[in-house]
Amino acid sequence: MAELTLRQVRKTYGSMEVLHGIDLDIPSGSFVVFVGPSGCGKSTLLRAIAGLEDISSGEFAIDGERMNEVAPSRRGIAMVFQSYALYPHMTVFENMAFGMRIAGLKKDEIARRVTRAAEVLQLAPYLDRYPRALSGGQRQRVAIGRAIVRDPKVFLFDEPLSNLDAALRVATRIEIAKLKQAMPGATMIYVTHDQVEAMTLADRIVVLRAGRIEQVGSPLDLYRRPANLFVARFIGSPAMNVIPGTVRIGPEGARLDLATGGGLRAPFPLDAGLAGQTVQVGIRPEDLRLAEGEPLLVGRISYIEQLGEVQLTYIEAEGLAEPLIAKLPGVLDLAAGASIALTADAQSLHLFGADERSLRPEPAAAVPEVTSARS
Amino acid sequence: MSGATHSARGFWPVMGQAFLWAFLLAVGVVVLYPLLWMGLGGFKSNSQIFDQPFALPQSWSLENYFSAWRGVQGYMVSSLLVTLVSTVATVLISARAAYGLTRTAMPAKPLITAFVLGGMMLSPTVALVPLVRMLQSLGLYDTHWALIILYTAFRVPFTTFLIRAYMLDLPRDLDEAAMMDGASPGQIYRRIILPLCRPIIVSCVVLHILFAWNEYLFAMIFTNSPSVQTLPVGLTSMMSKHGTDFAQVFAAMTLSALPIVIIFFLTQRYFIRGLTEGMAK
Ligand SMILES: Nc1ncnc2c1ncn2[C@@H]1O[C@H](COP(=O)(O)OP(=O)(O)OP(=O)(O)O)[C@@H](O)[C@H]1O
Ligand SMILES: [Mg+2]
Repeated sequence: MAELTLRQVRKTYGSMEVLHGIDLDIPSGSFVVFVGPSGCGKSTLLRAIAGLEDISSGEFAIDGERMNEVAPSRRGIAMVFQSYALYPHMTVFENMAFGMRIAGLKKDEIARRVTRAAEVLQLAPYLDRYPRALSGGQRQRVAIGRAIVRDPKVFLFDEPLSNLDAALRVATRIEIAKLKQAMPGATMIYVTHDQVEAMTLADRIVVLRAGRIEQVGSPLDLYRRPANLFVARFIGSPAMNVIPGTVRIGPEGARLDLATGGGLRAPFPLDAGLAGQTVQVGIRPEDLRLAEGEPLLVGRISYIEQLGEVQLTYIEAEGLAEPLIAKLPGVLDLAAGASIALTADAQSLHLFGADERSLRPEPAAAVPEVTSARS
Repeated sequence: MSGATHSARGFWPVMGQAFLWAFLLAVGVVVLYPLLWMGLGGFKSNSQIFDQPFALPQSWSLENYFSAWRGVQGYMVSSLLVTLVSTVATVLISARAAYGLTRTAMPAKPLITAFVLGGMMLSPTVALVPLVRMLQSLGLYDTHWALIILYTAFRVPFTTFLIRAYMLDLPRDLDEAAMMDGASPGQIYRRIILPLCRPIIVSCVVLHILFAWNEYLFAMIFTNSPSVQTLPVGLTSMMSKHGTDFAQVFAAMTLSALPIVIIFFLTQRYFIRGLTEGMAK
C-alpha cells in the first residue's frame, strides 16, 4: 500500500527548469500512465520519484512521509529501465538475486523468491543464462522479475516496451496488465509514448506537456472530455480534427458556423458572451461518417490509407490548411480525387475557446480518484 | 585482352597485396631475427659468435644458460617484486580514481580530471633531480620501494586514462539499477563496475608489466646495490663485468626477456585493445 503525493515539484538543470511545479496525488494500488510528447519531462518526473534525480523544490511523499532526501533503495520503489539495465556479468538468477543479496536475505529465501518470480514470468529455463544469451522479450521479463522479487510498494516503468517488436509488445503489455491484477496492492507508474499502452493499461492517465500537467483522468475521461486542445489532439489516433467556427446564438440555442461552410447545433449550451466569437471545433476522425442528408463538411479526397477494417481518408476542405482525417469503414468504395460529403453528430463535437480550454461544462458527478491538485 | 585483366581482381591489386606482404615479412624479420640471434648466441661459444655469427650453434649445450641464470637470479627476483607490487598498486589506484572521475558528483571534476591526466605529460627526466633528493631524504633511496613508488606514481595517470575511457562507455543505467537494488557506491564499484572493466584491467596489467619489467632510467638512478637492482640495470653491469664473454651475456638477455615474451604472447589480444582503447576520448 503506497500513496504518492507530489506538491509543487520542480526540477531544474542549471538554469533550465524542466518540471514547473507538478501537483499530483497517486492513490495506493492504482496504475498511472504518464504520456506526453518527447522531452516533456516524463522520464525526469519518474526519476525524481525513484530518487535518481534530486527534486529542486517542492515535496514528494509516500504515505505521507517526506521522501525528498531518502535514498532510492529506501523508498520501497523498484524501477524497470527502458534499456533493461541487466547486469551483463551475472546470470538471470544472480540478476534477480542481487538486490536481495545486498539486503542480506537468507540464501534459501532468495532462491525461493527468484524461483517463484521465474515461474510467474516463464523464466525458469533461463535462470543460468547470461543476459546476452536472451531475446529482447526475455530480457524485459528478467528486468520485471528483478523488480518484483523485492516486493516493492511502487513499480516504475520507463517505456519498458519500446525496444520490442510489435507482436512482442502486445504480448508483454498483456503480461504487465496481468501482473498488475496479481498485485492489486502495488502502485504502478508507467511512462510511454504509445497511446494504446496508455489507454489499455492505465486507471489514470497523466498528460504532460513541457513540464506541466495538462490533464489527469481515466482513459475514457481524457478521450471523451479532453480539458484542452492539447489533450484533445494528443489522445486518440489519428488525432482529432480541429476546425475554426463562429458561435451564433439564436432563439433556438447556440449554433456553430464552421470555417469550411457547414453549420450545426452546439452540443451543449454556450455562454451568451461567446456570440460572434471564434471557437475551435474538434471532431474525432471516428465520429465522421458519410452524409446522407445535409452534409456538415464537403471536400476532396486527397489520399486513402486502407487498413482493411477501416480506411483513413484524408480530405482537403475549403478554408483549411491541414487535411481532415475521417476513419471510415473499409468496405466503402472510395477513391482519391473524388469529392466526399461528411457529417457528424452534434453530441460528438468538442469545443475549445480562445485560451484553448474546453468549453464543455464540468460534469456534476464523478469525483476522480487521481486528481491534479492544481485543477 | 590479357589473362590478368580477365581475372576478377586485376593485376595491380594483386601486386599491391604481394608488396604489402613482402614488406610486412621484411619488418617481421628485422624485428624477430635479432631476438632469435640473441637466443641462439647463448648456445654458442664466444669464438663461434665471432667466427660464424650467422651459423647455427655447434652444440645445444645449456651451460651458458646455467651460468647466466646464476648471475641473473638476484636481478630477476628484484624485477619480479617491483613489477608485481607496482602493477597491483597502479591498477588498484587507477581503477578507483577512474570510478571517482566518471561516477561521482565531485566539484570541479573537469579540473581534477585534467590534473590527474595531465600527469601523463610529465617527463620523468625533468623530475629526476628533485625525486632523487626527495627519496634520499625519505630514506628510500636504493630500496625496492623507490622503484615501486616511482613506477606507480608515473603510470597512474596513463592507466587512469585508459580505465576512465572504458568506464565512460559503461551505461549509467547499470549504476542506477544497482542503486535501486540498494547497493552503496562502494558495492556498485566492486560488484558491478570493476567486474565489467575486466578487459581493460587486464590490458592495463599487461601494459604495466611491460613497462616495469623494461624500465631503465629510474632503475639505474635510484638503485645502487646489486641486491636491489632490476634486470635492465643488472644486465648492463653484467655486460661490463663479462664484457668479453658475449655468449653468457646473450644467454642472460634471453633469460630476462623470456618472461615478458611469454606474457606478451599469452595476452596480446588485451595488449592491443589497451593501445586502441581510450584514443577517442
Ligand atoms: N541531465 C540533464 N541535463 C539537462 N537537461 C536535461 C537532463 N536530462 C533531461 N534534460 C532535459 O529535460 C527535458 C525532459 O527530459 P525527459 O528525459 O524527462 O523527457 P521525456 O519526456 O522522458 O522524453 P522522451 O519521451 O523522449 O523520453 C528535456 O528537454 C531534456 O533535454
Ligand atoms: Mg524519457
